[in-house]
Amino acid sequence: MANVRFRRIEGNSAQYYMFMAVAGAVAAMAPLSALYMFVNGHHVTGMTNQVPWGMPIVMAIYLIGASAGSLVLSAMSSVFGKTEYQPFARIAALLAILLIVAALMAIIMDWGRPDRILVPFFHFQPRSMFSLNAILYNSYMLVGFLYLLAQFKESKFWKKALGIAAVFIAVGVHSGTGAIFGFVFVRELYNSPLLPPSFIAAALSSGTALMILILYATFRATGRLLDEKLLHGMGRLMGVFMLVVIYFLFIENVTRGYAPKNYEAASFLLLHGGKYTAMFWIGLVLCGLVIPSLIVFNPSTGKSTPWLLFASALQLAGVLFERYIIVIPAQVMPLELFSDKQVTSVFLDGRYANYSISPVEYAYSIGLFGVVIFGFGLAVKFWAMIPEEARFPEDVK
Amino acid sequence: MSVDRRDFLKIGAVMAAGTIAPAISGAAGQDEEGASSKNLWGMVIDINKCDPECTACYDACRKENNVPHFPEPELDIHWIRKIKFKQRGVPNAEERSMPAMCFHCEHPPCAHVCPVAATFKRADGIVLIDKHRCIGCRYCMVACPYKARSFVSKHVEHQPGENPESPIRMHGVVEKCDLCVHRIDQGKQPACVEACKKTGGGGMVFGDLNDPKSEVSGIVRSSRATQIRADLGLNPRVFYLGV
Repeated sequence: MANVRFRRIEGNSAQYYMFMAVAGAVAAMAPLSALYMFVNGHHVTGMTNQVPWGMPIVMAIYLIGASAGSLVLSAMSSVFGKTEYQPFARIAALLAILLIVAALMAIIMDWGRPDRILVPFFHFQPRSMFSLNAILYNSYMLVGFLYLLAQFKESKFWKKALGIAAVFIAVGVHSGTGAIFGFVFVRELYNSPLLPPSFIAAALSSGTALMILILYATFRATGRLLDEKLLHGMGRLMGVFMLVVIYFLFIENVTRGYAPKNYEAASFLLLHGGKYTAMFWIGLVLCGLVIPSLIVFNPSTGKSTPWLLFASALQLAGVLFERYIIVIPAQVMPLELFSDKQVTSVFLDGRYANYSISPVEYAYSIGLFGVVIFGFGLAVKFWAMIPEEARFPEDVK
Repeated sequence: MSVDRRDFLKIGAVMAAGTIAPAISGAAGQDEEGASSKNLWGMVIDINKCDPECTACYDACRKENNVPHFPEPELDIHWIRKIKFKQRGVPNAEERSMPAMCFHCEHPPCAHVCPVAATFKRADGIVLIDKHRCIGCRYCMVACPYKARSFVSKHVEHQPGENPESPIRMHGVVEKCDLCVHRIDQGKQPACVEACKKTGGGGMVFGDLNDPKSEVSGIVRSSRATQIRADLGLNPRVFYLGV
């Protein structure tokens, strides 16, 4: 394959400055809403003593997932020999770094005491998944960064070596993130050994979906040539990942629902959980997985770029629903002190809790997307991230 | 490109330092510290003596520990609470009640998940939170099966008549029952136990589980004492009679 030439964007047009101004304003919403939460206390959010984790945690695991997916995609050319993806290696690695930065912001700014940012550097708890993940996320950022750096060098060895390291650590990061929930053995909807691998599967599908949309938008906005066959190939890859997600979801829910002690948890999620059940079946299964799978595997729609973009957007939204129904319903369900007794108390024991996303959490979440987009816009101006053109290998003369 | 690379490397070096720092600084999370392992504090609650309408333990705890009161039930803070329960599937089942609080487990999941070891177990079995170290991530609340923990989500104002021995805290950290550790260290009983004896039914017994002659260990040795959710294997140090 011919060498891919990368070039910075000029970034002098009025459109560029307008784009960056809007992205910057959106990005500013994240720290500003975090400041508002810190100054007033978390009572301004939808989070309570019944549901202590809300949208910030949903966003964190969503962004971590997309990041891991992007990094693996980036490594496709150097590690798995899929040379047609070489033009995207830098963009994908850059996105992976920006997404993990936004995810870390999501986590830290949601602490009750974000001013204690240095505490985790001095106190470590090896049994805590959070503690282990702090090391994993930082190592991941570092390896991702070195891997991106290697993309600017000619050395195939370093590209491959760092690519392999990046893939391993991406798998570790996402297993660790899944384990944050999977290891919580007191809540039936969390406790599952399948959470770490199913997190990875959803990370790959959503990471691919994000890449498809970002690549299309970037090449179009910069007026550079992008062979759409490349996108269609990525669409089929996304389809395979989505089938794996479906498989894990099926196994996880059937296994959970088989045990009588889990009847209530399983039926809450799948049958009578109101908005959570709707999110599961309509948001995740139907819109996030089944419809996009049908689109990408159908020979005519699978080769149509507008259909593919639609399928990718659906998949991205579907995984956001997936992250939401992983984090929230397990906390909404009452903790069971006795298996055979009905319980009530002033602390709302025995009752299903309520959680709705507050305006400040909406601002926080949208702001995090802004951070990624702003960082991307900035990086492509200062570094040569985008190829001058991306062609399918057989078309390269 | 050389400038770019230098910049990349500089940032890379800073990030590398950040990655390794926790591992090398890490006085790895200590499971037990302070106090004396000669004692193992525990409690037995006889719910046959617990009147559903009595709030002596609850009121005493709030007063002793300056537990803030927020009007919204989902945000309010409870170190101890009265739980009412009925047998499921039995028509006209009798409603009974019991106090519930942090059960100071032998294997506390809250301490295991805390990323900064702000929750820790003292050598005498009391599970405590270092509120100056807690970062407010709330993982402990998600991991506790007994709903024993509350997050302070609002400013707490000083109130007239508050107990000067219990400091007023800032919002943004998690708190819970500490068995009135300040009283135990002075050789006193927890406030709830004292109040239950004085104005309640006298169903709460506190003492040293390591002392074979103590009343509490005598009751625990009998087969009548049970633990809540014993199936989880946490070995809580608060036992119940008559559940």
